[in-house]
Amino acid sequence: MSPARKFAVVSLAILAAPVLAAAAAAPVIVSTPDQRALAPDVAVGPDGEIAMLWLAKGDPNSAAAQAAEAERAKTGHSHQSSMNLYVAVSKDGGATFSAPVHVNHGDDVWGFAVSRPRIAYGPTGTLHVAYPANEQQAKLGKAILMTHYTRSTDGGQTFEAPRRVSTVTDSDLSGVIHGGFASVAAFGTMGVAPDGSVYIAWIDTRNMKADSATGSVYAAVSRDDGRTFATDRMMVADGVCPCCQLSIAFDAQSRPYLGSRSVTGDNLRSSTVAQADGRGGEFGARVPTGGAPWHLNGCPLKPTVLAVRGSTVYTAAHNGAETPPGVMIATSHDGGASFDKPAPVQPGALVSDAPALALTAHGALIAWHAKVDGPRRVYYRALDARGVYAGPVSALTEGDATSQNPALATRKDGRVQIAWQQDDRIYTTAIAAAP
Amino acid sequence: MKRRAFLAATAASLLAARARAVDAVPTVDAKQLRGLLDARRGKVVVLNLWATWCAPCLREIPDLMRIEQELGPRGLALVGVSMDEPGDAGRVATFRAKYFPGFRTWLRAGQDLDAIASVVDPAWNEVLPTTYLIGRDGKVVQRVQGAKTHAEFLALIEGAL
Repeated sequence: MSPARKFAVVSLAILAAPVLAAAAAAPVIVSTPDQRALAPDVAVGPDGEIAMLWLAKGDPNSAAAQAAEAERAKTGHSHQSSMNLYVAVSKDGGATFSAPVHVNHGDDVWGFAVSRPRIAYGPTGTLHVAYPANEQQAKLGKAILMTHYTRSTDGGQTFEAPRRVSTVTDSDLSGVIHGGFASVAAFGTMGVAPDGSVYIAWIDTRNMKADSATGSVYAAVSRDDGRTFATDRMMVADGVCPCCQLSIAFDAQSRPYLGSRSVTGDNLRSSTVAQADGRGGEFGARVPTGGAPWHLNGCPLKPTVLAVRGSTVYTAAHNGAETPPGVMIATSHDGGASFDKPAPVQPGALVSDAPALALTAHGALIAWHAKVDGPRRVYYRALDARGVYAGPVSALTEGDATSQNPALATRKDGRVQIAWQQDDRIYTTAIAAAP
Repeated sequence: MKRRAFLAATAASLLAARARAVDAVPTVDAKQLRGLLDARRGKVVVLNLWATWCAPCLREIPDLMRIEQELGPRGLALVGVSMDEPGDAGRVATFRAKYFPGFRTWLRAGQDLDAIASVVDPAWNEVLPTTYLIGRDGKVVQRVQGAKTHAEFLALIEGAL
């Protein structure tokens, strides 16, 4: 059976076993059986189409993988992560998906669940994708990580040749991390504002000092649906935890809000939200979302996610200083100037992590993975307009499989599309937003 | 004949030296890690989860190696587990040979980081570095997150020895 045919069979399969919650529809698998897939993202288009994006390692025994390994052995060149990106699109509300389309060129994607590529629709249906990619800095002869972008203007059937949107500099920090990258533009995010502006932001090491190890935020913005991007600009000067993925959301006036984790000289790593004017200006002061102070001389790998409606900013992030360590929500009612006291999303869990947020008709929905009495499973919960929990924790998955790293997108029918990784496959389904 | 034997011996010796320079880093899955720790029952074990891309991890590894040298005779054993990609065994081996030769470390075998860490800590939150102090009875005495200094580690370990 051809891979495409295999995929068609699998994608049509209705898998009842993993679902617990009555509010969730039967899930669909979008990755192919030969892929070791991870780190999904999901987007909903202007006409209700659903696009799924995921990372995959190819079959290590495939001819392509063997050839790449032979080349690596011959040249000594070694990416620190070499992955591929795939997109599949549904035009029937998530019942079936197209065969996956390979988005990047070669196996150049540097991606993990904690630095996951992003996908978003523009208002006219253009599909935008941003991801971190391995490159070589020719002058230094060293490995670097750059942020790449591509788009599809035919509904995800084909993608343009990927372009670099971050600037290659002569910065060389390879000594700081003992032979690591000379410079990094990764752990980024992408969003499309209501006015169609495409923002790609990432954590950049070009200003990093060897003795401080804090990053800056740079962003490249397109005002023409991704045809061109202005040269990247610094949006946050420093003090950004360099391994905590960014997130971005917009208000109705297309002003961007940035979720990031700050780090200070005493290694206090706080979730923060900052706002910019939408005309290209830097983000303003980053406001901590609160909670127990988390001092860590290490790599948290914890994003701060957010969703914005009017002056209400919903946020969620893992805080390792809480007991138990886990995801906390915090809501602002004044455009991110201040936040309510954070509240744990699942106090009974041993640990919870990897939050995702999406707006619903009257509030927001949060999903995350947690461990309660077995492997990681995906859970979700509704928030009301004030950011207060509007219902109990619902388990999306059960059983012995490891389910993790959910992503969310608001559907046109009021439900929320959720994507997640279960073992090494990518699943998606729709869940009702109301408790 | 003697000359040929000499050349062969020299070549073999050079190859062996090269092999020694970059010793392979063995992989470890959850079951094997359990076995590694069980085999060290009776010792105080310092289990260090690290990665080549985690700068704070790299700063503390020399201190942990020094402590193992200092306290090994009193029953301390250091076990490292690299959380780098399972397919990166060659790169991790080269990295160790260059920066931390002698560091007794394994590389996670499976994609699921949590499965490895759950052997000692079902509530691990993927923060690196994470170091576990495991008593002679095999039970976790303490979880430490973030890089610590030589003095800080010594203070923690002394109580368990």
